[in-house]
Amino acid sequence: MLQYTLKRILLVIPVVVFISVIVFYIIQLPPGDYVSNYAAEMSVAGEVFTQEDMDAMRADLGLDRPVYEQYFIWIKDIVVHGDFGFSFNYNKPVLAVIEQYMGLTLTVSLVTMAFQYLVAIPIGIYCAVKQYSIGDYFFSGLSFLGMATPHFLMAVILMFLSYTWFGDPLLGLFSAEYVNAEWSMAKMIDLAKHMVIPVIVIGLSGTADLIRVMRGQMLDELNKPNVVTARAKGLSERKILFKYPTRAALNPIVSTFGWSLTSIFTGSTITAIVLNLPIQGPVMFNALLGQDMYLAGTWLLFMALLTVLGTLISDILLAWLDPKIRTEFRGT
Amino acid sequence: MKQRKALAVLFVIISIIAAGCTNNNNSPEPSSAAGESNNKPAVKEEGPVGNGTIPAKEAPMLAGLVSAGSLPPLAERLPAQEDVMVEPVVDEIGQYGGEWTMAWTGPGDKWSVGQPTEEALFRFNKDGSGVEPNVAKSYEVNENATEFIIHLREGMKWSDGVPFTADDVMFYWEHMLTKETFGKAIYDAYYSVDPATGDKALATVTKVDDYSFKVVHKYPSVQFLERVAIDNKWFFAPAHFHKTILPELVGEAKALAIAKEWGFEDTTAFLKETGYYYWIYPQIPTLRAWVAKNDPNGDQFIMERNPYYWKTDPDGNQLPYMDRIVATKIQDPSQRVLGTLAGDFNLSTFGAQDFTVLKENEKKGDFRVIPWQQPAWSTLGIQLNQTVDDPNLRKLFQDIRFREALSLGVNRGEITEIATNGIADPIQASVPEGLIGYQEGWADQWAAFDPDRANALLDEIGLTKRDKNNFRLFPDGSDLSITIMDSSEDSANYTELLKKYYEDMGIKTNLKIVDQATLQELKYSNQVPASIENISVVNVSFRPDTLVPLRVLTPWYGQYGLYVSSGGKEGVKPEGDVAKILEYWDQIKAAGTAEEINRLSSEIVKIHMKNQWIIGYAGPTPTLIAASNKMGNIPEDMIWADEFRSLGAAHPAQFYLKQ
Repeated sequence: MLQYTLKRILLVIPVVVFISVIVFYIIQLPPGDYVSNYAAEMSVAGEVFTQEDMDAMRADLGLDRPVYEQYFIWIKDIVVHGDFGFSFNYNKPVLAVIEQYMGLTLTVSLVTMAFQYLVAIPIGIYCAVKQYSIGDYFFSGLSFLGMATPHFLMAVILMFLSYTWFGDPLLGLFSAEYVNAEWSMAKMIDLAKHMVIPVIVIGLSGTADLIRVMRGQMLDELNKPNVVTARAKGLSERKILFKYPTRAALNPIVSTFGWSLTSIFTGSTITAIVLNLPIQGPVMFNALLGQDMYLAGTWLLFMALLTVLGTLISDILLAWLDPKIRTEFRGT
Repeated sequence: MKQRKALAVLFVIISIIAAGCTNNNNSPEPSSAAGESNNKPAVKEEGPVGNGTIPAKEAPMLAGLVSAGSLPPLAERLPAQEDVMVEPVVDEIGQYGGEWTMAWTGPGDKWSVGQPTEEALFRFNKDGSGVEPNVAKSYEVNENATEFIIHLREGMKWSDGVPFTADDVMFYWEHMLTKETFGKAIYDAYYSVDPATGDKALATVTKVDDYSFKVVHKYPSVQFLERVAIDNKWFFAPAHFHKTILPELVGEAKALAIAKEWGFEDTTAFLKETGYYYWIYPQIPTLRAWVAKNDPNGDQFIMERNPYYWKTDPDGNQLPYMDRIVATKIQDPSQRVLGTLAGDFNLSTFGAQDFTVLKENEKKGDFRVIPWQQPAWSTLGIQLNQTVDDPNLRKLFQDIRFREALSLGVNRGEITEIATNGIADPIQASVPEGLIGYQEGWADQWAAFDPDRANALLDEIGLTKRDKNNFRLFPDGSDLSITIMDSSEDSANYTELLKKYYEDMGIKTNLKIVDQATLQELKYSNQVPASIENISVVNVSFRPDTLVPLRVLTPWYGQYGLYVSSGGKEGVKPEGDVAKILEYWDQIKAAGTAEEINRLSSEIVKIHMKNQWIIGYAGPTPTLIAASNKMGNIPEDMIWADEFRSLGAAHPAQFYLKQ
């Protein structure tokens, strides 16, 4: 297994290099660049930009060089100095921008994820065990709704309800007075209050998905011979349920766990824009829109890396959870 | 409680009367002052209002610092007694405290905090007819407008307490402006033009004494002060700060090291940000009423009162009244609306499209909507690129009958009802009444809905052949279609209507939405045949770019502008009436009197009226200011124009929150 893992890790390197090339190429594809974007934005604000101004700015930022040259400079700085470039929009190094948003992004993502698993797994088990009961129909219906409703629409609806009921749409993650305040109990409570809508909205479709998967898997597992045997030997129902079918049913959920790594670090995008959440998603979106290419490039690269890593982690986790897979490894 | 209510009612009545005074009278300065003195004793007779006690001379938060010894007393912070600038208040003497909460989209939105806090050397007066001293105390000018002596305020200080003197002007001129350190070429304002030869000469600036300096032009420059107010706005920089960062003075390597320390990659961006967009950087001293306090990249940007601010209200209270400006970062414009409805933002500005939602929630959200007129020629219209690449199309666009047909074939009544909620008037693109160049009857030119006449005109041009879908073809049988480009989908309901009317006339119309940057690129490469951009300009002589083809970007003149800006090397040579506009513009630059400039400006506008290159389907709509009912001293009946610095024209330092 160790050899296999090593092999997989080595394979990651060419994949990431390949992705970085594609990423850089794609960012360059749309017409215009950061400078034309910036000039357009500033002329809306009433500033005058001449062609010379823009050319000078391009030369300063190195945007007048050929694409491959820009790419190699970027990669060289990453490898040699660990410098991921400079964000034009923020006038800051890319890493500083990412760092600024990382804390809250992780908070929102992890809470959302915890919400998903804590809600979905028990409901999934319940729906399987009490198949075709009223409860099953209720939760199944709800999960279909959750899967079908677009996030941002849900966000808008919840914000509207919050505004009509409480007079506050609960935008952002903090009330105005706490944004720059020191961490305190009151600030935590304020954060918790503002997290309700994002967590429900972002978590909903994932939850719905998980409920379906969990229910399906459980139904498969519930009538397996090992379960019947266990029951015949007189084990308590509860013990049987958690010892055998649940454990086996978690299998596909664990195998997809690694994939959620990217979403943990980026957070959602459209929902975050609608809810005005200060997390990575919208930052990334604006970087792409404004052709802030090093920020966007670093982000895409980072996400690619996380996806590759996530798959790796999933494989290892699976091997650890499921003895059958372990054996297969040994066999080959 | 009841008593308070009664007082509030009284307040409203008084302010209405005061506002009435200002309305009826066209000379705003004396009349508002008169309204002031009539109004104040009346309030006082009724007993204390709000704060109740005799007004303090400085804000409580500063008084605290003074008594703690960390700030010098007020008298030492203000300029010399007679040099303090007294800012007239709009309705009444305000109260200290509170925060102006607003939304912004981050540092890219710097002008939305920049304009309201801007302190120019000279600023436009209330009706925008001319400039008045602001940072400057006064000026003297010789008869032929070649020599300007500008006096500064003695004892005035930067926000860090360092004196502001003529040296700061000289430093800015010698080491920043003429060296072009902050990414802007030397502004046109500083050049004068020889009427005979068209020769351009740069002014010279010399220090007279610590509190005055002299600007000498080679040729008369009648509009020098106005041009500075528009082109450059300020004409000074904190020398003591910039001395520590300019490469010229500290050396290239050291400057780069400092830039890196600030988080910048190179000195160019660093100097541009610190030299031009200085107001969002807490490290840089300014003369503004509020100064930046934290990193603008955060979720909340805070500006706090400048303890050395050099203006007081008529009672001698140091301004500003409000303690802070708090700008919360938003991701989407709708959050500004939402935040205003919820009371999170107490003073924000909106376009006319939000009129209904704001008005519906005025009571619930406890705010009021104040409309300010814009000097726009139209809000919905179309500009046809006179130099479009396709020769057939170019010939057509240059045909005045074609433009008349496009104008007549559209039902303005329907457009204004559907696309502007009936707020705009169904008129032609024209100079609004009250501005230089206003022409009687222009608003009605080709403004009636007359599809028969439109079709007759199109037939007359020779567009009689039709294809199988009944769209008109060029006389040579090739396809005819107009592509309208826009950078956002916000006006989709309007462009769809436009398409319908044009296609009813048999003109095939394509709508194309591209992003902002792409549109910009397309303009430079002359790929924009038609655009729905509008013209908004107070006075063509102040800001000629959109009416006189001087550069690229305004769609109607297309490559004519490139021809002028490249000195004839690229682009299309202007001919006929467009060339005439440029002739008038050259005369304006060299004109010797204000009357002459106004006359020539009117001539330029008249050429526009004759040609109607910019067709309008809906008149101007106001900018809406949604202000909390607690916020006072916000003037009504103002003009919203970039030239007057938008909200800055209302002098936000004297806005206050009723506690």
